[in-house]
Amino acid sequence: RPATENIRILTESSYFLGKDKSKFLYLLCASGDFVKVYSVNTEETLRLMGGHADLVTGIQLNPHNHMQLYSSSLDGTIKLWDFMDGIPIKVSSLGFYLHLHFYPLSGPHSSVLLLVSDRFFFLWSDTFQLVSVKLTKGAGQDLESKELSVVLDGVGASVKHIAFGREGAYVVSVKDVTLQVYFFKRKLLNRFSLSTVKTKGGDNRFSCVVCHPTEDCIATGHADGKIRLWRNFHHRKEYTYSTLHWHHDIVMDLAFSVEGTRLLSGGVESVLVQWHNESSCQKDFLPRLGSPIEYISMSSDGALCCTLHTDNRITIINSNLRFSRSIQGLIKSRDVKTGLVVDPRTKALVLNGEPGHLQFYSLQSDQQLFSLDIVQRQYIHQAGLKQSDLVKVAFSAQGTWLATVEESEEVTDPELQLKLWFYSEETQSFTLNTRINTPHDNHITDMCFRDMDELGDDSLILVTTGRDCVFKVWVMVEDTDPEGKSAHESVSWSCDFVGSYHNYQATNCCFSEDGSLLAVSFEETVTVWDSLTWDLKCTFCHPPGNIRNICFGRLTCSKYLIGATDYGFLCCWNLLTCALEWSAHLNIVVLQPDPLSEHIAAVSWLSKESSLFVFKPNEPRPLYIQRNLCKEKILLAAFVPRDEPETISSEKYLWLRKSQLFFLTDTQELMTLSTKSLEERLTPSSKQLAVEESLPVTPFSLLLGKHRHQQAQEDTDLGKPVVHNKQEQASPAVKELLHTPAHVLPSASFLCTIFINSLLISKENKSAEEVADEVEMESEKADGDSDEEDVTVMEQEDTSPMELLGEMTCKLSKSQEKELRKIRKMDYSWIAAF
Amino acid sequence: MVASGTGTQLAIGCEDGSVKIFQVVPGGIQFERNLDRRKGRVLCLSWHRSGTHIVAGSIDFFRVIDVASGQTVQRIMVNHQVEKAKRECVVWAIALLSSGTVVSADSFGRVQFWDWEQGTLAESHTVSTSAALSLAVSEKEDSIVVGTSTGATYQLQLLPVKLGGLEKCWVRTKPFQFHSHDVRAVAHSSTALISGGLDAQLVIRPLMEKVQKKGYDAVLRKFTFPHRRLVSCARKARLLLFQFSQYLELWRLGSTEETGKDGEVLPPCRMPEHLVQLKSKGPEHIYCSCVSPCGTWVGYSTASRFQLYRVRCDGDGVSLRKVPKVPKLLPPAYQLQFSADSESLFVASARGSVHVFQLLEPGGCKHLHTLQPPSGCSEAVYLLAPSADGHWLAAVSGDWAIHIYNLKCFQHHCVVPAYSCAVSALAIHPSTNNLVIAYSDQQLFEFSIPEKQYTSWSRAVQSRGLHRTWLERDSPITHITFNPKNPAHILLHDTYLLCILDKSLPLPDDSTLLMNQSTLKQLPETARKRQLHAFKICKKFQPLLFMDLLDENCLVVVERPIMDFKTQLPLAVQQKKFGT
Repeated sequence: RPATENIRILTESSYFLGKDKSKFLYLLCASGDFVKVYSVNTEETLRLMGGHADLVTGIQLNPHNHMQLYSSSLDGTIKLWDFMDGIPIKVSSLGFYLHLHFYPLSGPHSSVLLLVSDRFFFLWSDTFQLVSVKLTKGAGQDLESKELSVVLDGVGASVKHIAFGREGAYVVSVKDVTLQVYFFKRKLLNRFSLSTVKTKGGDNRFSCVVCHPTEDCIATGHADGKIRLWRNFHHRKEYTYSTLHWHHDIVMDLAFSVEGTRLLSGGVESVLVQWHNESSCQKDFLPRLGSPIEYISMSSDGALCCTLHTDNRITIINSNLRFSRSIQGLIKSRDVKTGLVVDPRTKALVLNGEPGHLQFYSLQSDQQLFSLDIVQRQYIHQAGLKQSDLVKVAFSAQGTWLATVEESEEVTDPELQLKLWFYSEETQSFTLNTRINTPHDNHITDMCFRDMDELGDDSLILVTTGRDCVFKVWVMVEDTDPEGKSAHESVSWSCDFVGSYHNYQATNCCFSEDGSLLAVSFEETVTVWDSLTWDLKCTFCHPPGNIRNICFGRLTCSKYLIGATDYGFLCCWNLLTCALEWSAHLNIVVLQPDPLSEHIAAVSWLSKESSLFVFKPNEPRPLYIQRNLCKEKILLAAFVPRDEPETISSEKYLWLRKSQLFFLTDTQELMTLSTKSLEERLTPSSKQLAVEESLPVTPFSLLLGKHRHQQAQEDTDLGKPVVHNKQEQASPAVKELLHTPAHVLPSASFLCTIFINSLLISKENKSAEEVADEVEMESEKADGDSDEEDVTVMEQEDTSPMELLGEMTCKLSKSQEKELRKIRKMDYSWIAAF
Repeated sequence: MVASGTGTQLAIGCEDGSVKIFQVVPGGIQFERNLDRRKGRVLCLSWHRSGTHIVAGSIDFFRVIDVASGQTVQRIMVNHQVEKAKRECVVWAIALLSSGTVVSADSFGRVQFWDWEQGTLAESHTVSTSAALSLAVSEKEDSIVVGTSTGATYQLQLLPVKLGGLEKCWVRTKPFQFHSHDVRAVAHSSTALISGGLDAQLVIRPLMEKVQKKGYDAVLRKFTFPHRRLVSCARKARLLLFQFSQYLELWRLGSTEETGKDGEVLPPCRMPEHLVQLKSKGPEHIYCSCVSPCGTWVGYSTASRFQLYRVRCDGDGVSLRKVPKVPKLLPPAYQLQFSADSESLFVASARGSVHVFQLLEPGGCKHLHTLQPPSGCSEAVYLLAPSADGHWLAAVSGDWAIHIYNLKCFQHHCVVPAYSCAVSALAIHPSTNNLVIAYSDQQLFEFSIPEKQYTSWSRAVQSRGLHRTWLERDSPITHITFNPKNPAHILLHDTYLLCILDKSLPLPDDSTLLMNQSTLKQLPETARKRQLHAFKICKKFQPLLFMDLLDENCLVVVERPIMDFKTQLPLAVQQKKFGT
């Protein structure tokens, strides 16, 4: 089965900075099912530690060994990692826990973890308990821990709702308007409640809690922006608190400095506030951090702090409250209205970023390339304020022109602006060329360029469709007064043609591959227009139901037009015969053609699961079906062309050769289909990185790197899965050579042979046949799977689905199997030849 | 000016930088000596609890003076570290704790803790962006209240750094913003923080953790007006006497001849008339005042003098003539009350005594008798209530004992059973001679003077209990009067409501609405009967200073709108408010 790679948005994660002795700072971050290790100095992802089967809910350094990390996950396991090497040391399974955060306690409570869990599956009543668990000392992969005791009942589920006091003497939990403090030694539980009455905009609900590192002081954040500092809380009556108030909305997170003299707070204002000595008069601000602050964390030496923002960005801040650097992956925007667009120039994924910005996200490096400010207005974080946002974006084929549409959030009277941007080679960015106010009288539903590579700029046409029942064609016109302007400044865009069809709202538009035809869908009907004369050529419809998506086939299938309707039909029309070629009953939400092949990917949404179908328009049978791709609704998809065609062993994934398919779900998770398994993807990279890091940059290391690169090249040329054991054999010798101090090394003559040997390519242990066999086995299994799926899925004019199903269930004899394998082998050689 | 802990010595700081020590002797003070004089005006003083040292705050510095030698032993600059040293730093308030720590509140809004022997700064808390003006330390010296010029008060508490540990530090804890202007004075009682400001408000903020049980103490109290009668009324002459801090004003009430329905404002046929303003001499505030029911006598008393005037109305003109040879009273009156027939004046005085003066035509007065409780009393009398028939006089002294005297024979008649609360108002019923007493905890009693016992109605009220809403009211009853037409009616008022208590109707229980007048109006006649209860409350006039029944169908109500004096206040310190 293919593994789906999740690049999850960091919504539910905690992180902190760890520091090792070699003055190299690491930033650890729980991200989806993984724990990421970033280098603070270079902002790069050093390691991706996978292995949890569900969301990682908490990470914590081992208090006894700061090179080790505990992580907990919704899958009910706690793992202890060596994060330098990315190896799990210990896995503790706690079976029935569904949701955990945990805190290893130091001092007398060694190896006791405290977890937040809903132990009795009280999912509906969202009651969480704080439980202490004694972990067994031994190291092993699957340890069952059963020594449990409940510490606190009714705690908040978020990691921010629980904090540990000075030296682990007490634990604090907040929920709604109640603060609970439990003293471990005295076994004393104190509960303090604030008033629930919301007066004068006050709202006493707790949002987060932290404890002073050296004094007995608890800081809590509240929903109305207040910060309360609690003291004397071992008295039930004579407890006291002081209030700090700057935030106007909920305090998202708090953090004390290492000495406890400074308190950092952050909220939706995107401002980091530093309070000195718990005084409300002395405070510093770091404003304009871009987006609401979700988490704040201090490094263990206090030199740095970092903030995690709601848009999936980590900002690292110096202790003097200066912005240092930021680690930025895919920015999570409030709503991806633009769709997933691929920049033809950089192959970056383009979508909504910060409010009013367009982000260019590099998939290879998991980094933002740049952010283009489209709306060019200050964004104000305030609930209920109607602000302009980017809704549509389109690139021309070469990526020289970019069209954007922005509209205000008003439903009745959207202020529309169409902007056309030209890519300037000098500045290496887009410059605004034309701005068209109110291009349509109502919302713009779709927009596309005529993609014609060979004809150059003159043939460039932009089509926009709007809910005002028209589509408009925009062309470039030369300025009459081209004085002192460069070639591209002397052009501007203006409307050339307005088309409509029976006063229906235009919903989608699409150019055929050669640019001669334009398909525009008007509610239930697809109209096809000649792009030279703007004559209506023909219309298609498949009632009932409005057209949701349309696209033309490509390459050999360019005579087909594909459309998906609201009522769950996927239709393929033949443009030559003007007739329906085939149709299938599928609730398609996303229809995405691959620009480099005939393949079209369609994602359906049915009964709370998304399924992927890949087909060629000329064949009604899908090439590939992946049922239950994910539980979330997939909203968008994009084919991203690969830099070089990948060698794909299995027939099933041949359609992924030239481009890679990415999905964006409604929770803004970006996913892709990978042809390799998770382990394959993770291990080589992490190991390589580990070695490379330890190498100083010398001519020798460069030589070594080159050598290795060649080796890898050879591997890929062979067209077989990369066999990494050669490298692994070589590396210990090299490592030893490089890591041992010079004065204890044996003589060079002794080492020479070992070193030379390590560089030699050793002969394969396995015979070529054996390897081929193995590959076959895999592909066979995969084939079997896909067949099975085919059978269950197909509802089209397939002939013998039921019989096939029966066949697959009965077992074949060994000889039969072998024969089948041989036949398959022959089949493969055929395909390979082509 | 600060008294020492033992109360035997008084230290006075002067503008010229000297500190003078006075000895407190019975009946006065006696200059003892001058302490070390340094340049710079002395703005605040504080004694050490043992009386050995005085700390004096000035501009930019404070100094510690040894009382025995009179020498300055330490002089500490308070704005030493401040960059903006050009601005002078005024030490507005200072306190010397028994541990030797000096607490200073200065114009930079800081509260600083100094070790005066070392001359070092221990802690500094910037509590406000504007000046910290006043400071008070609790008895245990573990809590401090600070008033600032923005009207906010802050509490600082001495709290352990680590739970159960010995190390302690001062932490600013609770901020309170109840004033709009400077908080000039603060006090720290064992259960509450008390602050008084330029906005003419006194605020008592209870410390909930110190309050043992829920009661009167556990609620925030705000006082704008003193709980005293500041207006007196001459019923027959229809005159009102207003007592201001430095002067008195006599007004003649207007009248109307028209009649109208409930809620209507009738046009007056005669406008109210300001007759005369009587300014008191000297800087002293007027302590009490009274006008006689016939309107011909006006008396007032300051802290040192008692004055009596004869008012003559000839046509439009009004003349005031000071009554000569008024007997000297030492100390002067705490409360003045004319008898109903305007023939005698009762003067409440110290040690529980009440002087009775006979008023003589055409303008004279004679000391008739001094009434004194038989067992003696150390506290002064602060409330008086004569009966309408001139037979009885009730006097309340500071120890809350109510003595009733027989005026016919100038004899002590009886004592009302002691109650654990201050009396806020009392009056004797004109026909039944029942004494109605309102206590500061909002309890009401009726005591029959002839029978020397509580009346059955009073017993019924006590056994039944008053309505909870009534008991939870904020301000005490300040005046009681009666309806001569209906002896069952008692008229009461406090700052926020006036109430007609109808003894003939059943008392309300906690489940019914106390303030039911508006709902009653909407009910039909029959249903209204069933809903009626003893308390008929009107909240139309607020804040209410005075209410009295002139005659059977005429009630005078004096209302003092808050805005009247809010507008006279100086501008408050400008503060940026979020969202404005």
